Amino acid sequence: MARTQALMLQIATGDSRPISKQIVDAVRMKIATAELSPGDQLPSVRGLAQQLTVNPNTVAKAYAELTAEGWLESRQGLGLYVATPRQRLSDAERSRRLDEAIARFLHDVIALDFPPDEVQARLHREFLALAPRKSA
Amino acid sequence: MTHEYVVETDALTKRYGRKLALDHLDLRIPRGRIHAIVGANGAGKSTLFRILLGFLPPTAGSARILGRDSQRLTPEDRGRIGFVNEEHTLPGWMRVNAVADMHRRQYPRWNEDAFRDVLGHYHVLPEQKIGQLSRGERAGFNLALALAQGPELLVLDEPTLGLDVVAKRAFLESLMYSNATDDCTVIYCSHQMEEIERVADNLVILERGRLMHMSAPDEFCARVTHWVADIPFKGPDPRSVPGLLQLQRLDGLHHYLVLDQDEDFAEFLRASGARSVQSMPVSLDRAVNGFLAKNHASPDAQRAHA
Repeated sequence: MARTQALMLQIATGDSRPISKQIVDAVRMKIATAELSPGDQLPSVRGLAQQLTVNPNTVAKAYAELTAEGWLESRQGLGLYVATPRQRLSDAERSRRLDEAIARFLHDVIALDFPPDEVQARLHREFLALAPRKSA
Repeated sequence: MTHEYVVETDALTKRYGRKLALDHLDLRIPRGRIHAIVGANGAGKSTLFRILLGFLPPTAGSARILGRDSQRLTPEDRGRIGFVNEEHTLPGWMRVNAVADMHRRQYPRWNEDAFRDVLGHYHVLPEQKIGQLSRGERAGFNLALALAQGPELLVLDEPTLGLDVVAKRAFLESLMYSNATDDCTVIYCSHQMEEIERVADNLVILERGRLMHMSAPDEFCARVTHWVADIPFKGPDPRSVPGLLQLQRLDGLHHYLVLDQDEDFAEFLRASGARSVQSMPVSLDRAVNGFLAKNHASPDAQRAHA
């Protein structure tokens, strides 16, 4: 049986994101960067709650959201596992979220006054840095 | 036997002379989970607890705890309620084991495993006198006693006040992960948002003896937003700003902390002459503080009302 994968994550109180959202974001990022792979088992609700000193219901809420979005799957009586990737959102929704993220990004960087070419080149390099780990 | 609400108050009022500590308070706290009550000093939290536990009679209105009239609690009812107050008052001259023995005899549902489990976090020796324990040790001992009693409802009045970081963490761990709390509803009052963010399922905000808000902490947080507007010269009259909690002018920019405002608020600011408008979400700490600060007593406000 697969052993529980350690979940190396930090949460911060006093953040504008609620703790459950911070957990969701961190787990998604770890799956996207292949730090967590399909089939890895996640810590139990109680285990992660104790690791982070937060209310178990907060972890349960984060896990439920990740499961509903298809990042995690539960195996009856065994726990939660990283799901095999599949397209989790409709094309329209993906496109909408991408537009939103781009708008946020633009708001942040526009004031920094870099030439668009340089911003694009740097973004491209960041993507390349992610890619090899993902295909590994 | 099992009631839907652990606490139910109807128009509960308590008057001390000219001052209303509780002002027609209608509060319903559902069974299960951890409920945090916050409020400025004097919001009525401790008065509420005293009435609920039957230590104090209300001036008017009614209060029910675990379905019973709080003024007519029997010893058996009291056995179903655990209470830890901020002073952790226990008889200073008694030894730890004598106090524990007294509780063992007193409560038929006594859970020795839970007692040891919680007390194991603290260096408390059975032969020590209560008066010789540190504040943190007393807090831990008090919580161990309350949890071992196997209560259906645990009421904690600022339990971690004055505890060091290690004692505080041990206290929170006992509260959240001890098996003894599995079937227990916890009502907890605190000023420490960092703790509430970690611990609470439900946030109850009291102000001047009235219920101002009740929801999950993140839902409350989402009601409050922080807007920054660049308004040359004078901004709009603060009294005309919708949902205003706090206004600051910093480096020539107007900072607004507002309640329940959506994108229309940007329009309001532009119509008031803003050249640029930005908004961001806030932390729970900021949201609650902004909310409570709005009506907090200040010398200026009192002069204005005088």
